[in-house]
Amino acid sequence: MMESVRTLVVRFLGLFRRRRLEGELDAELRSHLEMAVERNLAQGMDREQACRQALRDFGGLEQTRQIYRERLGLPFLDTLLQDLRFALRMLRKSPGFTSVALLTLALGIGANTAIFSAINAVLLRPLPFPNAHRLVFVWATDGQRGIKEDVSSYPNFEDWKAQSKTLDRLAAFTTRSATLSNGEEAELVPAVQGTPGIFELLGVSPELGRTFRQDEGEPGSSHVLILSDAFWKQRFAGRTDVIGQTLRVNEEAYTIVGVMPSGFRISRERPEQVYAPLVRDPDRGHGFLMVLGRLRPGVSIREAQTEMSTIARRIEEAYPNGNRGVGVNIVPLVDAMAGDAKTGMMIFLGVVSLVLLIACTNVANLMLARGASRMKEIAVRAALGAERQRILRQLLTETTVLALAGGAAGLLASHWISRALVESLKQFDVPRLADTHTDTAVLVFTFAVSLFTGIFFGAVFGFSVGSPRLAEALHQSGHQATGGARGRRLRSGLVVAETAMALVLLASAGVLLKSILVMRRTAPGFHTENRLAIEFWLLPKRFSSDSRRIQFFRLALARAEAVHGVQTAALIADLPLGGGLDSLSFHIAGKLDPAPGKPFQSLFNVASSGYFATMGVPIHAGREFSEHDSADTTPVVIINEAARRRFWPDEIPLGKQISLDANLLTVVGVVGDTRQTSLGVAPRPEIFLNYMQSSPKWSWLVMVARTEGDPAAISAALKSAAQRVDPNVPVTRILPLDDVLALSLAQPQLWAALLAVFASLALVLAAVGLYGVVAYLVAQRTHEMGIRMALGANRSDVFSLVVRQGLGLTLGGTLVGMPCALGAARLLVHLVPSVRAGDPATLTGVSALLLSIAFAASYIPARRATRVDPIVALRYE
Amino acid sequence: MPPRAEVLQGTLDLLVLKTLDTMGPMHGFGIAQRIQQVSEDVLRLNQGTLYPALLRLEQRGWISSRWGISENNRSAKFYSLTRTGRRQLRDEAAGWNQMAAVINRVLKASS
Repeated sequence: MMESVRTLVVRFLGLFRRRRLEGELDAELRSHLEMAVERNLAQGMDREQACRQALRDFGGLEQTRQIYRERLGLPFLDTLLQDLRFALRMLRKSPGFTSVALLTLALGIGANTAIFSAINAVLLRPLPFPNAHRLVFVWATDGQRGIKEDVSSYPNFEDWKAQSKTLDRLAAFTTRSATLSNGEEAELVPAVQGTPGIFELLGVSPELGRTFRQDEGEPGSSHVLILSDAFWKQRFAGRTDVIGQTLRVNEEAYTIVGVMPSGFRISRERPEQVYAPLVRDPDRGHGFLMVLGRLRPGVSIREAQTEMSTIARRIEEAYPNGNRGVGVNIVPLVDAMAGDAKTGMMIFLGVVSLVLLIACTNVANLMLARGASRMKEIAVRAALGAERQRILRQLLTETTVLALAGGAAGLLASHWISRALVESLKQFDVPRLADTHTDTAVLVFTFAVSLFTGIFFGAVFGFSVGSPRLAEALHQSGHQATGGARGRRLRSGLVVAETAMALVLLASAGVLLKSILVMRRTAPGFHTENRLAIEFWLLPKRFSSDSRRIQFFRLALARAEAVHGVQTAALIADLPLGGGLDSLSFHIAGKLDPAPGKPFQSLFNVASSGYFATMGVPIHAGREFSEHDSADTTPVVIINEAARRRFWPDEIPLGKQISLDANLLTVVGVVGDTRQTSLGVAPRPEIFLNYMQSSPKWSWLVMVARTEGDPAAISAALKSAAQRVDPNVPVTRILPLDDVLALSLAQPQLWAALLAVFASLALVLAAVGLYGVVAYLVAQRTHEMGIRMALGANRSDVFSLVVRQGLGLTLGGTLVGMPCALGAARLLVHLVPSVRAGDPATLTGVSALLLSIAFAASYIPARRATRVDPIVALRYE
Repeated sequence: MPPRAEVLQGTLDLLVLKTLDTMGPMHGFGIAQRIQQVSEDVLRLNQGTLYPALLRLEQRGWISSRWGISENNRSAKFYSLTRTGRRQLRDEAAGWNQMAAVINRVLKASS
């Protein structure tokens, strides 16, 4: 064994010392022959005889050399090295082809590597918990409303926990905003309330102090708090005597008992700053919990799902009122953490795969064009005795070298692409995206993709030129060897496929851009210029009394209007485009409910007097809330146009009454629609209550101010005025409405921009590919063109012949691509809900764009074809 | 004169090793001469096959080579047995003897 390894090593080294060793052999053989001749001479032969005898004794000189040479190296590695050297020589010989191919591959592979590194960081790399693969997210489902990821109630969570045998532990949490105050100013920080045991479930011990005790989850127990590492370092400068200190949270004293290590995070939206124990809530109808579980070793998600569904059915039977249709949906924690980002990333993985396929097709096409001109070389090699297998191996080596080099360049490119990607996605706070970097998984991925690419076009290449019909190829002069009808069909097929893929990407980008254009053109229903929004967070406890709340509102508005530069100010519970409104049931006096037991449904919002004037929302009928509406006057509501159309289609319902929670409310005004969730979603019926007359359940409150000049200029003054109203009420956000509008478009715009970048890349690649093929065909048919022109065809005939060919291929690609594009556009609804898949204008536009690019790509070769001199062309014969 | 026999497949190695063992360092031509001499010209050695064999033995580490000057002042490559080569020779010689004895016995028994 040892010996054979040694032999292998020596032979391997021999590969690199071959020239010297072969020289040595020659010297050795020469000395051998000389000695033999000498001896023969000594034995009395004449010189000629002596030489002949020496050679005869020796046997075949060349044969010896051959056997010796084979023995010197390893035949397999030997040919590989030979192939590699040859491949490099071929690539060096045509720097134009090589650089175009390398660039194309680098872009294709680079884009894939970049998206994969992001997916790797967010979805594939294990979460920073021990045995993270066994952690799951246990969503409730609502069969009646078709919701698959719903929060659950505390009693349901407890039942699950008590009954499940497949889940080792269960813990629940909810994300909250906690108001921290020190008496002078208040700050709102993201917080997590978790059941005691949540840290143990995740398997993470605190960096300092302890976690929650079991009894700290009982109502009425002492208030304890655990800090995040970031909060501890920022607020307490990392001091260890922080344990035992108190913090005022939501106006109550909490004792700090622990600090979690850095990087620990439960919430998927915003990194939480503090943790408080979640207190039991006996209301089975109150869903607010997110539930985590740990699978018992050896239990699959499917098994846990089956068991938990049975448990959920049992609970549903026991509590038919609160739990109708409530099921369970178990997903891996890592997927739940990634949330919506997962869909986006998967769509983009599909997009970049298409780009890579186009890149591959392109390079394959270039190779084919080159392969045809190399047909003669290959035929000569075959004629000289090279086996078919050997030729194929040579071609495969060549393509693989090219692809691997492209992969290496792509890895470099991906570095910048992913940096740009992470940077542009930063504002959406995707968990773990910032950790994107090149690790082993990424390297393996890139290597695999490159290898696949190399083999892919190696195979295509080999298929078309690997088995030349010798006689035929040798007969023809080099540039005329066409690779036969099979090669031509293959090349055309590749162009059709490439065009189809480009069309899919272009159409997707097109419909996305279209939907954004539509959104941008959509009037939001209110004015954004010179308007500022300030968000407050009201502690329910502090503002539970109506008089105290109304006093706060009046004071806040007065202070705001006193700020220099503020014209008017008003309050609203949920800003347009905020998407935070609840749909509530109500009845209309004098009208029957739509169905027995199913009252009318509408969104409800709360506004103060002067809100619609401040926002620039038109009043279509009646009036808006005034200073005179108060708790002592008739309760009034204002409805939007959509509500009027839905509930009172044939009349202006001024003075009509509705009843909400047994309160009778009178409609006093009809206002224009404002978009509630997004510019892409049509306005829904909305009914405004009056802040001075009703007590909203919401904790947040937005003040909008109409300013005289640039709102940014008075933003600071307004913020400090607002904060002085009540130092215990934190201002959470202050920003111009222009920004609110821009933010609502940010995500769709980013998706569209990304897609547009990739689609343009695809278009360029497809154009290059088409140009290459048409130009090549023209070059091949120079002779034929010459004959045509000699026989009387004029230049325009030749021109249209070539252009027709290019356009024909593109048209084929368009026809193939169209249904695929329609299917792909349907997926985009996951990115931007208002996308309309089958938009004929967009599809037509995109096809027209593709065809005009195809025309341009065929134009140059077509012009060249018309300049063919028949005499020159015919002389080739 | 007995008919000349081809060197049996696989026995060339043994012959080379044995020659180097008895004669000490030798060049290729010398080894060829010696084998032919000792076999009293019965063995017909195709001298060319000697060199790949020498390379093979060297790759296995049984012999080593060095350039030197021959008796009549010619530069030549000299081969000598290494320690593993000597051990290998012992093993192979023993194996050969055993095999030869067995074959002899078989031939005698059947005659």
